[in-house]
Amino acid sequence: MQTSRPVQILKDILATLIVIVFMFPIFWWSLSSIKPYTAIFNKDGPVYFDFQPTLQNYEVTLLGKSRIESNLESGGTSGAGGGSSYDSRETILQSIIVAVGSTILTIVLSTLASYALSRLPMRGKQHFLFWILSQRFMPPIAAVIPIMFMFRDMALLDTLTGLIIAHTLINIPIAVLLLKSFLDDVPKEIDEAAMIDGATRLQTFRRIILPMIKGGVAATAVLCFIVSWTEFLLSLYLTTSIRTLPVKISTFVTSTGTEWGFITALGTSAIVPSFIFILLVQRHLVRGLTLGSLKD
Amino acid sequence: MATVTVRDVVKKYGELKVIHGINLSIAEGSFVVLLGPSGCGKSTLLRMIAGLEPISEGDVLIGDRVVNDVHPKDRNIAMVFQNYALYAHMTVRENMSFALDLRKAPKDEIERKIAWAASILNLEPYLDRYPKQLSGGQRQRVAMGRAIVRNPEVFLFDEPLSNLDAKLRVQMRTEIKELHQRLKTTTIYVTHDQIEAMTMADKIVIMRNGYIEQAGSPLEVYDNPDNLFVAEFIGSPSMNLIEGRVEGGRFVSKGGTAIALPAGCKAGEGQAVVLGIRPEHTHPDPAGALEARVGVVEPTGPETHIYFELDGRDICAVTRERTGVKPGDPIRLRLDADRIHLFDQASGKAIR
Ligand SMILES: Nc1ncnc2c1ncn2[C@@H]1O[C@H](COP(=O)(O)OP(=O)(O)OP(=O)(O)O)[C@@H](O)[C@H]1O
Ligand SMILES: [Mg+2]
Repeated sequence: MQTSRPVQILKDILATLIVIVFMFPIFWWSLSSIKPYTAIFNKDGPVYFDFQPTLQNYEVTLLGKSRIESNLESGGTSGAGGGSSYDSRETILQSIIVAVGSTILTIVLSTLASYALSRLPMRGKQHFLFWILSQRFMPPIAAVIPIMFMFRDMALLDTLTGLIIAHTLINIPIAVLLLKSFLDDVPKEIDEAAMIDGATRLQTFRRIILPMIKGGVAATAVLCFIVSWTEFLLSLYLTTSIRTLPVKISTFVTSTGTEWGFITALGTSAIVPSFIFILLVQRHLVRGLTLGSLKD
Repeated sequence: MATVTVRDVVKKYGELKVIHGINLSIAEGSFVVLLGPSGCGKSTLLRMIAGLEPISEGDVLIGDRVVNDVHPKDRNIAMVFQNYALYAHMTVRENMSFALDLRKAPKDEIERKIAWAASILNLEPYLDRYPKQLSGGQRQRVAMGRAIVRNPEVFLFDEPLSNLDAKLRVQMRTEIKELHQRLKTTTIYVTHDQIEAMTMADKIVIMRNGYIEQAGSPLEVYDNPDNLFVAEFIGSPSMNLIEGRVEGGRFVSKGGTAIALPAGCKAGEGQAVVLGIRPEHTHPDPAGALEARVGVVEPTGPETHIYFELDGRDICAVTRERTGVKPGDPIRLRLDADRIHLFDQASGKAIR
């Protein structure tokens, strides 16, 4: 479509503004993470760039140094608190294990389930699909206590396995529905052609259908990863010694004060793995994957 | 190569019966076209032969084997779909080798088969392209390539040309026919395009509402339609039909026009009938017995279609002469008496 120059310029300005609005919190967050204590709590107003940048917050949260050590090295003044409870290296590892694990588990189960739901005849399929969707109606807080009891009885409390299962349970409904919509776009003649070519159901699924919807699978995986990466409530209730990132960050709000420096540093770091993950899958996130299998 | 036999086959979707006990036998190596209007059950019948649709009643045989419960992959058939159903993530080569790979055919055999198919179908330059990088006609050929590399006993085509433009369709029609003459594989071809049917088929099977109306060679069904439906469906422009009754050995239309009937006509006196005459057997002729007024004149180049009104019905005459008639002109017409068809008005069946 042709747009006139002024309209195009207006559109560009608008787009830039929207991007700024959405980027600002991230910018502010990461900026705060390299501010010294005094700049974060400057009571004269927000500090933008006139401060001495420091990596102290990162050294404490990511390298496990105590605040004293970190301060001595950079020659800064000592703030309140300190100690290794801000060391988040294990947390990050655990969060990655849980997010990656639950994403893989979700994708494996959901692709199979959605293929069956998309292709095989089933009595009352509509009701079953609605039931799957309805799993998302309930606020998780309403179910968290029963889930906790069930997990205790199954000895899954405070285990990585337990958390992976919990996050998989959260993600499966939406993943199944999403993947089914991608599968429904692949015409059934493709399955039939493969079947006539001699493929079994499973071969058809693995060698023909799955590669055709890999864009959809990638998109779904991103979604599942982000849900698990940012999930708070279940992680809080189902674990005590294991700490995922959101739970860990919440512990930085202490009775003696809020450690904004550590919160922003860890929050900024938390963007990185999901960013990498999205980069890895984004080349599959192209539209029109079935392009060319049909006449037009 | 194999024969295909369809025996009393019925297809039901729940309570809905869409195929009503069809019988059909297809000779080894022949090219059979299933022809009929949309929704008549052509695809359903083809898919039952392919094994993609369960058979409600009756038997389908490939060769001497009843295949009702045989999985599609074990029927040794190949199918080309209307939308081609190519594997989008595979190159042309991979699309064609998929079936052979699954069978664990040796590498050099696969290579040889693909080279052979590609040379027949002129696909050599495109073997490493993806389907989305091909034109419609090329995709169509890939779909055919995928079918022929497997060396099946039966080819099934479901309206393979309906998505191509008119010119390409004519070209592909010839290519498919050549392919059949070369491979001599039993072929069942579904279409609703009667020109395709006439030009390609050894045998045309005309279907309507889940019944076979007539089966025969193209010229048989054209020259001797069994009933009004076939008479009207085959031929373009379609057969002229005039309602009336038989009186004193002649046909008298509702408007009172009398037409002499050929000798030995089996129609009973007073019987309500429909007279059919093909446009090419209707001639403008100053000495003709019928009088009419010219409505529309359509020159197509080699021939001219002249529409005129007779007893309130549009009748068409096809002539190769340059008559120069204009709309509104009075015209006299002559019918080839030995080309007149009579149908019983109530049953629609041909009176022979
Ligand atoms: N899954 C189904 N459930 C119910 N009825 C069906 C189903 N599939 C097809 N039909 C019906 O069966 C009849 C025959 O369908 P079919 O697809 O064989 O027609 P067709 O002759 O191939 O038509 P077209 O030329 O439009 O492809 C149609 O009336 C259709 O409505
Ligand atoms: Mg059809």
